[in-house]
Amino acid sequence: MDLIHNLYTGFAVALTFQNILYCGFGVFFGQMIGVLPGIGAPTAIALLLPLTFTINPTSAIIMFAGIYYGVAYGGTITSVLINVPGESSTVMTCLDGYQMALHGRAGAALSVAAIGSWIAGTGSIVVLMAFAPALAKFGLRFGPAEFFALTMMAFGLLTVFGGENPFKVIISTMLGLLLTTVGLDVVSGMPRFAFGVPQLLGGFDFIVLICGMFGVAEVFNSIEQSEDEGQAIKGKLRLGDMFLTWEDWVASRWAIARGSVIGFLIGMIPAGGITTASFIAYLAEKRYAKHPERFGRGAIEGVAAPESANNSASISGFAPLLALGIPGSATTAVMLAGFMMWGIRPGPLLFTQHADLVWGLIASMYVGNFLLLLMNIFLIPIFVAMLRIPYSIMMGLIVVFATVGAFSVNNSLFDVWMMLGFALLAYIMIKLKYPIVPLILALVLGKLSENSLRQALMISGGSPIIFVARPISALFMGAALLAYLTPALRWFWKRWRAAGQEARVGPVPS
Amino acid sequence: MWHARVFGGLAVLALGIAVIFFSRQLPYHSDYGPGPGFLPTWIGYVLAACAVVVTAQELRALKQNETFFQPRTRMAIKVLLVIATTFLLFPFLGFSVGFGVFICATMRLMGGHRWVTCGVAAIGTAVSIHFLFGHWLGIPLPTGLVGW
Repeated sequence: MDLIHNLYTGFAVALTFQNILYCGFGVFFGQMIGVLPGIGAPTAIALLLPLTFTINPTSAIIMFAGIYYGVAYGGTITSVLINVPGESSTVMTCLDGYQMALHGRAGAALSVAAIGSWIAGTGSIVVLMAFAPALAKFGLRFGPAEFFALTMMAFGLLTVFGGENPFKVIISTMLGLLLTTVGLDVVSGMPRFAFGVPQLLGGFDFIVLICGMFGVAEVFNSIEQSEDEGQAIKGKLRLGDMFLTWEDWVASRWAIARGSVIGFLIGMIPAGGITTASFIAYLAEKRYAKHPERFGRGAIEGVAAPESANNSASISGFAPLLALGIPGSATTAVMLAGFMMWGIRPGPLLFTQHADLVWGLIASMYVGNFLLLLMNIFLIPIFVAMLRIPYSIMMGLIVVFATVGAFSVNNSLFDVWMMLGFALLAYIMIKLKYPIVPLILALVLGKLSENSLRQALMISGGSPIIFVARPISALFMGAALLAYLTPALRWFWKRWRAAGQEARVGPVPS
Repeated sequence: MWHARVFGGLAVLALGIAVIFFSRQLPYHSDYGPGPGFLPTWIGYVLAACAVVVTAQELRALKQNETFFQPRTRMAIKVLLVIATTFLLFPFLGFSVGFGVFICATMRLMGGHRWVTCGVAAIGTAVSIHFLFGHWLGIPLPTGLVGW
């Protein structure tokens, strides 16, 4: 009964004219961002975040959630039509989606992606409704030791999912943590790494940092990677082409189901992310297919599975964010910054203290997913037309929004220069193959991690045994240790397999 | 520039050492448990240790590393310089006019658009920024010597 009452409260919030408008704007804007290569969901939210100071937090978070799952839908369009993923989460869709477009089935590919995403998204919301409050109740048992262990687990999982080289992931994580230590120490009041600069005493503002690292750095990166403006769109699109045949339904139904489940589970893991979800769903589908050789040549399951997975993961990523205050991806990390900006701390108490916000957000996801389904079937030509906007204009707008966003935090030009500095740092990091996402996650979780560590050690009188003496904390610490060891175990496994293969076939001639 | 990644590793190593050095000037312990220098010290050690491993990895893979300067890196640097120049001009031009000039410059530089198109876009940008951010959202944007 509680669930029905909560859902009723949620729909009462989500179905107000104002929130439907924000949700509609969010999903449309997200879809647009997904279509345009070079801008991602974290960038879009980071750029809009400073402009929402005056908006009701519930409406703002509904809009941001709409952008988040809207992006997952939108990235598909470019993956299918021009073989360029609008988002990293739609990379796998290129493999079969573009092949379908070459065979004149672009409409079917986009349709199965939209319908699969809708089914996965709606299913995930149902599970999220039941699961998130239970997770929040579980979270009420957490003390400082558990929170520290949880952040350690999140950082550990980054070494598994966060990038190719685990050492570079750790360096990126440490840089994020280091940035959180700049400014006055909250316990002793001593300045750290401020070097006499008064503007640094308050620490780095998260918005300034993400506007630089996601907004402007992405501009430099896109300029370097971009080819000639305007690309050929494969396949003609008419409304009639958007409807699926019975054979398409039969072929894709289990792929959608499997993709949804895989996506939901991976989306909940801190640092799991929607890209990993779509990647694993595609590989799983190929592995269990009766004719895996069809994959990469236009198999509809190859579109249905990753698309369902990425949307499912984008919804389930809200569970750890809302219930524990732990973001699972860069986008949810930026949203967490938004919550903090509005004076709301996500975590176990959020479900009781801000029930209208939580349930309004969850209910709005139904509305948003339905709007996206309609947009994906009827508004595709508009999104395709957006691909023709020259990047020279797009990048100018990104820089304008990022700069105004950074300036508006403290109305200070110092922040604007700081933003440019962070953009340069992120650009160099990307070029040297250091991942940015671990830095952002560490930046968001850094304060929680350090404060929990110090509180826990104060409670235990300085003894680190507290982290393994409490069962939940010990569990998280064990998972963290396993996560940190995974790259090493993977390396040993590869060596062992190679040695076994060599023993069977003989040494490979050089 | 084939060695950029090695230099990157060495830069992280230098940062790690610097963090350890400055952290040691902060109290490691306090009356209530770990002091303000506790976490930064450990961050410094981990940074330095990982930097050693990464530098060694990059040295081993020296020939496989792609060059730091790609064909379009020069364009990215030009845009960076245009942005920096715009920021330097903010105290004189203000945000609205400054960004108008910026849009004009980048459209010309990157897209090779005609001067007339760039000029129209610049005026449109300046007016839009002034009304959208300055009036509608109420952000007190710097106006510079232009007063707008």
